[in-house]
Amino acid sequence: MSGVIADWMFVVTACGYAAAALLFLQFLVQGKRSGAVVGAHVAAVATLLHAAHILLVALGSGQCPVRGVHVSMSLASMLMCAAYVLARKRLRVEVAGAFVAPLAFVSLLASRFVGRGYEPGDHVKSLVLPVHIAFNLLGVALFALAFSTASLYLVQEKLVKTKRVDGVSRRLPSLDALDRAEYRFLLAGFPLLTLGVATGTLWARRVELGASSDVLRAALGYVTWFVIAAVLFMRSAAGWRGRRAAYGTIAGFVCAVAVLTMYLARSHGGADAHPEPAHGRVVRFRAPQVACSVKT
Amino acid sequence: MTLPVFVIGVSHKTAPVDVRERFSASDEVVAVLLARLGERPELAEAMFVGTCNRVEIIALAAKDARVDDAVGAVQRVLADHVGAGHVREIAGWLYELRGDEATRHIFRVAASLDSMVLGEPQVLGQVKNAYDAAVAAGTLRGHLRRCVHHAFTVAKRVRSETQLGAGLVSISSVAVDLAKRIFGDLRDCTVLLVGAGEMAEQAARSLGKGAKAIRVCNRSFDRAASLAQLFAATAAPLEQLESELAMSDVIIASTASRSFVITRELVKRAMKQRKNKALFLIDIAVPRNIEPEVHQLDNVYVYNVDDLEREVADNMKARIAEVEAAEAIVTSELAQWAGWARGLNVNPTIVALRGRMRRVLDSELERSLSGRLKHLAPSDRDALAQMLDSATNKLLHSATVKLKQASLADDADDLVRAVHHLFDLAPDDNSATRLSSDLAQPSSGKLPASAPEPVALAAPVEAQADEYVSH
Repeated sequence: MSGVIADWMFVVTACGYAAAALLFLQFLVQGKRSGAVVGAHVAAVATLLHAAHILLVALGSGQCPVRGVHVSMSLASMLMCAAYVLARKRLRVEVAGAFVAPLAFVSLLASRFVGRGYEPGDHVKSLVLPVHIAFNLLGVALFALAFSTASLYLVQEKLVKTKRVDGVSRRLPSLDALDRAEYRFLLAGFPLLTLGVATGTLWARRVELGASSDVLRAALGYVTWFVIAAVLFMRSAAGWRGRRAAYGTIAGFVCAVAVLTMYLARSHGGADAHPEPAHGRVVRFRAPQVACSVKT
Repeated sequence: MTLPVFVIGVSHKTAPVDVRERFSASDEVVAVLLARLGERPELAEAMFVGTCNRVEIIALAAKDARVDDAVGAVQRVLADHVGAGHVREIAGWLYELRGDEATRHIFRVAASLDSMVLGEPQVLGQVKNAYDAAVAAGTLRGHLRRCVHHAFTVAKRVRSETQLGAGLVSISSVAVDLAKRIFGDLRDCTVLLVGAGEMAEQAARSLGKGAKAIRVCNRSFDRAASLAQLFAATAAPLEQLESELAMSDVIIASTASRSFVITRELVKRAMKQRKNKALFLIDIAVPRNIEPEVHQLDNVYVYNVDDLEREVADNMKARIAEVEAAEAIVTSELAQWAGWARGLNVNPTIVALRGRMRRVLDSELERSLSGRLKHLAPSDRDALAQMLDSATNKLLHSATVKLKQASLADDADDLVRAVHHLFDLAPDDNSATRLSSDLAQPSSGKLPASAPEPVALAAPVEAQADEYVSH
């Protein structure tokens, strides 16, 4: 019964995100202010339903929501929306919903159809694992928002620089607001990412990085951390602002997404994709043990 | 026949600001240009108008000159002014209007209907300055002067009878709107006014309400200080411009400088000091004060008067009803003016005819009063004079009305010739024609150096004719 309710809740949530995305699109194209206002509210309601859905699934399966890639992905998109709903007015970036809602919609659908087959084995279960995943999920959620505002910044900056300041430019937040929001999302996400990397490193000591994809993913995870750290450092030390900082933020998020994609690609292959080690006590783990991965 | 008025110039509709600034002129240069125009025998009158959006010469061809020649003369003066070897080099940028179209244009410019920012009050002030300069130079003293004067009346009517100027989207308010795309609002922004002229003052009025602080930087520190005092702002000399740029977020440049005041290198250094925090510069001066390459710097945005056009177009759409009402006023005033101008063809004849008749009657009356009627008391003599006035008016009423009607229909030439022939009106009798002719063709063949008082222009004779016709 709870499975049916969860399924319906999933459908309604997806419809909510899709509707919010369309409303924001209408606002950007036609300039109807009501589109953005209603879109933000619809996104807020969809976020609540999303949270309820995750809770219901967790209760129904009796498992922690951060266990399993599909629920983790769903949780990440929900956290992103929640952060957006909480911060949109304060940071004056309501229109960022135009990025957040479709991103949440796609993530929600992906969580249903991608990586369904993977569950971490009992041999790697540890208290560190959910903490590691939770930090990384929150970090990714905030980086997604930083990416959204950075993208909007580049659009607005291009319009102002090329002096096409009517139409869409009028509907977007100011450059200052977008730059500030991007910085704050990045600043908030970075400690979480750092903790995620730290816990991941601790946990990874238990396993051995066998496959070359594991090594690559680990390396890319560290690169993600480094890129975001560099952007933050350059902002404060070298006065990086605006376009450069936006490109840096987008680069960091792209790295994070690359790590996530590699993880999903492997997970999607299922347990059979990687044979168990033929020998040795140490398990060559195929799962999110890579310390540096943004989302294990 | 309409007055041979014509307008030649460049505006925001025909040339970008980097071209217009070549045509612009300081007060001293305007005086030189007017002197040159005054020396041209093809021109009866001329004035030089320079605003943010346009540089143009309004002129009246001399009576016996061909309008084409007069237009060519003005074009050559303009070509010399911008250093062009030949008129061909600038012809692509120029617009040219003649006759009623030129008059309509003058009215529209004064009423700020042809401006980039519709209803902008500064335009009328700038046209008035141009008028004063031309009057002072002695190049505006006849019918064109009256035409420009009429344009002021049109502007006044537009201002008082429409809402064109109400809720005006001025350059400053457009600047505020654009600044919001960069900074959100101006509460945390420092606004720097580079230049302390009228435009700077208006900008300060618009921006002062929302900005955190206002600073004024000007070549003359005293002027900067007096403007700063008006708005509780801080004044600084132009030598401190770099540090002022470093501590400001929105810069509005409106100096009369003929060269760039804010250069790329200057802004580059200032940006380092402000750690690349966004800088928004608005250049409302013509010629421009800010080097265009400044816009290429990261986080620096430069907008000049032309860049505001799209913003203003939105404003125009929103106030289309007011624009239509203002255009209707212009059309009605133009018809009135055209009627007066056409009347110029017959007024001298009417005045001459009336003068001729009065001279004959006065002569007869004088003879009678010194002969058979010399016993009459002064009151009786006055009564006789009034009777002759009345008789003159009644006798000439029909002829006057018909001449006026023919004039409005642009078909008075035959009648005028007939009247001159029938009543044997000699050129000497035609005082109004002589005055007009004097204005159009001074004895030297050039414009006189000194100008009479504005209202004195042919007023007594024409006023008599108009007054008589109105009866």
